[in-house]
Amino acid sequence: MIGFIVKRFAQAVFVVIAVSLIVAVAIRMTGDPALMIAQGAANITEADLDRIREGLGLNQPFLVQYLNSLRGLVTWDLGNSFVGGTPVNLLVDKALPATLSLAFASMFVSIVVSIPLGIRAAVARGRGSDQLIRIFSLLGLSFPNFWLATMLVLLFSITLKWLPPSGMSGFASFIMPAVTMGVILTATNVRLVRTTMLDTLNSQYIMVARAKGLSERKVLYKHALRNCAIPLITYFGLQFGGLLGGIVVIERVFNWPGMGTLAFDAVAARDYPVLQSVIMILALLIVGINLLVDIAYGIVDPRIRTK
Amino acid sequence: MSSTMSFKQVTVSALGLLLVSGALASPVFADGTLTVSSPQDPGSWDPVDTFLINWASVGTNLFDGLTYRGPDMKLVPALATSWDVLDDGTRIRFTLREGVTFHDGEPFNAEAVKFTFDRLLGEEGAKGPQQSNYTAIESVEVIDDNTVDFHLKAPDPVLLTKLAGYGAMIVPPQYIEEHGEEYFNTHPVGTGPFQFVSYEPKVSIKLKAYDGFWGDGPKLSELDYRFISEPSTAVAELQSGGVDVVIPPTIPIAMIPTIEDDDNLDLVTTSGPTVYALRFNTAEGITADERVRKALIMAVDRDAIVNEILGGQAQVIASFQGERSFGFDPDMEPLPYAPDKAKQLLEEAGITPGAQVQIDIRGNDATFAEVTQAVSAYLSMVGITASIHPVETNTLLNDIIPQGKTGAMFQQSWGGWTFDFDNTAYAMYHSGQKWNPYDSDPKMDELLESQRSLTDPAERERILQEIAQYAADRALEMPLYSLNAIYGVNKRVKHFEPAPDNRMRLNEVEVE
Amino acid sequence: MAFAAPPRLHRFASLEFVLGFLLLGGVVFCVVFSAWLFAPPGQISLSSRLVMPFQDAAHLFGTDALGRDVLARVAVGGWVSLKVGFFSVIGSVVFGVVMGLVSGYYRGIWDVIVMRCADIQLALPFILLAITFVAILGGSLTNTIILLIVSQWVQYARLVRGSVLTLREREFILSARAIGVKNGAIILRHILPNLMGPVVVLMTLNVANNILLESSLTFLGLGVDPTIPSWGGMLAEGRTYLQTAWWISVFPGLAILCTVLGLNLLGDWLRDLLDPTGRTNR
Repeated sequence: MIGFIVKRFAQAVFVVIAVSLIVAVAIRMTGDPALMIAQGAANITEADLDRIREGLGLNQPFLVQYLNSLRGLVTWDLGNSFVGGTPVNLLVDKALPATLSLAFASMFVSIVVSIPLGIRAAVARGRGSDQLIRIFSLLGLSFPNFWLATMLVLLFSITLKWLPPSGMSGFASFIMPAVTMGVILTATNVRLVRTTMLDTLNSQYIMVARAKGLSERKVLYKHALRNCAIPLITYFGLQFGGLLGGIVVIERVFNWPGMGTLAFDAVAARDYPVLQSVIMILALLIVGINLLVDIAYGIVDPRIRTK
Repeated sequence: MSSTMSFKQVTVSALGLLLVSGALASPVFADGTLTVSSPQDPGSWDPVDTFLINWASVGTNLFDGLTYRGPDMKLVPALATSWDVLDDGTRIRFTLREGVTFHDGEPFNAEAVKFTFDRLLGEEGAKGPQQSNYTAIESVEVIDDNTVDFHLKAPDPVLLTKLAGYGAMIVPPQYIEEHGEEYFNTHPVGTGPFQFVSYEPKVSIKLKAYDGFWGDGPKLSELDYRFISEPSTAVAELQSGGVDVVIPPTIPIAMIPTIEDDDNLDLVTTSGPTVYALRFNTAEGITADERVRKALIMAVDRDAIVNEILGGQAQVIASFQGERSFGFDPDMEPLPYAPDKAKQLLEEAGITPGAQVQIDIRGNDATFAEVTQAVSAYLSMVGITASIHPVETNTLLNDIIPQGKTGAMFQQSWGGWTFDFDNTAYAMYHSGQKWNPYDSDPKMDELLESQRSLTDPAERERILQEIAQYAADRALEMPLYSLNAIYGVNKRVKHFEPAPDNRMRLNEVEVE
Repeated sequence: MAFAAPPRLHRFASLEFVLGFLLLGGVVFCVVFSAWLFAPPGQISLSSRLVMPFQDAAHLFGTDALGRDVLARVAVGGWVSLKVGFFSVIGSVVFGVVMGLVSGYYRGIWDVIVMRCADIQLALPFILLAITFVAILGGSLTNTIILLIVSQWVQYARLVRGSVLTLREREFILSARAIGVKNGAIILRHILPNLMGPVVVLMTLNVANNILLESSLTFLGLGVDPTIPSWGGMLAEGRTYLQTAWWISVFPGLAILCTVLGLNLLGDWLRDLLDPTGRTNR
């Protein structure tokens, strides 16, 4: 057991280091930040550019820069943005909660909708409402999410003036972005819930509960759902990682001040410290969540450990 | 039945709550607050750190320079009330305005001016791009509390204009020494009509009126800026009342009817300095031949493009500068739209129909992409097949163009923020400049260099006009248009004057 | 897992199949035959800009800002989506299945290498990978396909690896090896056919997903050259015209919806057919 955990942990560390190296190399291939900063100045010479590079710390050998950035990740001193010198910590401290809260809101929306729908589909298996729910969930999966977002803004912000079209400014501003992301998640989750429920509903445990005469609602929500909880939670956990990847588009459309917007602007500006920090932090989160899920799975199902 | 609410009841109540809170979220304005949407957060409010025009829309309200140039392009006194150019242009004596204070209470005086320029020309300024603009200054000498002397290495006719620019904004010595440079970046203090309240990186910056302002007091109580880069999002905010003003270049031509149709909004425009052209590869390919270049220019109906695609919000240009630029010749005519003549020239040059050219454009400029497609259609009518190749902007500007790796034509957009053709022309036409990878013309170089140090404006203007004409004769580019600066403004905003360069001073503005 | 008995005809009568086939088939038909069915898509006409749809037989879906026929552009634009969807999936299947086979059958160092690469791949959120990739290499049809292959081979590799690990211990494989059948033949003739079921399902679903991803990327400016007609590009263009010329956005959006929905319906139907145990859980 311990061996298993140690092994998985070591793998995770390896992955993180490999990712950090790849990222460090890759972003340096995107272009010269000094040119970005000097943009607009009429008579910039090579000497001026070099002066700017020196100030940014880019003239140091790659290994030094790389190790500094690793050290910074551990001590949480992420350097200063190339655009205006803002400490990256400041930027991330604002952006990370923004992205995470949106991610959680989206997952919340999807869970709230997908559980009752999934259960309904499982119960009605093969019949009308099952088919309908399945087709509707496919519809949700097939929508280009930025299109949906634009339509929602047109309806709710411009025409009805009910919701703010952009920015993170209180509860109301979460609604459209969370719903947009939630639609896609719901589509996947409805099927997950349905499948897991189907497995559970066929089990002995449920037959006994029904035989005892418990109301259908109790059977479904109190007993069946509890049984599904573990696999569902692990799926949702894994989904969270994938969510972080897709959230960037939504952040763009809604001008959400999160990690995605940060990364996008950083690439355009060749802002290495910001870009590196954002990618590393998100990678750490994903690797961390996957590690936890794997370990939890390993505890629950010993067969996995030997794979 | 259990005492807990049924799932259905929970859902309905939750939805109800969401709707109600949504309705309550509509913005409520405090009296006298103006909200402006700016497309980009420059990251630091220190005047020496950046060249981005999006610094100016905020910075102009926080800081002052010795001189000031407003929307009418006239240079007027600001923190300096008068000046004398002495010693054949190598020394300028400024008399400073009295009774001015910084937002933190410290007095504005000659020491502050010296501190500002020592800093700009010294270590702190070395980290940023502004320093290279002011290298003509040798040193600043304090004569007395209200008088300073600028010692120049060589006469610089544009210096007075540059003193109205970002790098020369006067900064508070005591405040910076006390709090340090990093703090100053995110907590700026100046002498302008508005003072700093709070800054949330990438989200917003908030200012409020400064009571001790030396000029006509600001009529707004609060001034907020929100950073919104996506054009349709910015306009959506304008329509929903989330912002009052959207500044250029955010509003794309496509959204102009949307704003005009909205009863709460006004479209306010003014001719702008930003110019667009398609520059030619004069070294390789069919465009190496001057006749071909002229033919390509004459094949395109530039007036139609301006009227149809740009909705009239631009002006056709004959040289690579806008009408407010010093060096602009109102009498200079562009090559006419003459497709038959074009075909003739192409034939003369031995170009067979079906010849291919590649046009490189910036990836993120949707309006120009449409324009280029129209250009390509016109070219096809004279037998030239043009393919359009969008390139990521940074790659185009910093790699492809300087290294001379472009196709036959490439997008040339220029801010023209100094409103002086010298700045543009030198960068575009002089040998060895990053924007000019293909051409080297000794006559052009000579013309360009000759006007740089002249102090007689009339003579400078004449030479600049000659340069523009020479560039047109050699058909170095296809000048297209200068774009208007387009602002979207809520009708509740009064006395708003559109600035062509985003340097909007908002002390006269009021809101209902 | 051997194939189920050959599908009987009534399986084709399922709603999903019919709907999916109609949607997908309709779109593909229009795209492939666009040159014959519709006007040339690139024809610019500055005099008939922003014509509304359903007014004029010549412009059923209206025209865009440059006077180009929207219906024609939507039809031709489908090529980008179809090409990207098809080639990216072929590429990732080939690469992923090979990696999965090697990793699962030979184990040892190969397994370690492939699985570590997979882990690294998965740690990088797709869009961030895309942003960086495009910043280095530029956006184009080919690059988009490469990007999708690079980020998706892992799914197939893992799927295949899992199946191979189970299969290789089965009796019929062990006996084949005992007889002396070469590894290559074992893989090709015995293992591969038995895992293609879930792989095919995954492929169909991924084509759908990739079409969506491609349009997202183009929308963000990271994908295909925006001057080639493409659904994502048209959606991006149409955004600024949303309130004045809604048809520029709506029709390409519907096209994407129909195609992706059709593919998803078919994929679902295939899943019921080929992989009822749910190994391709999505």
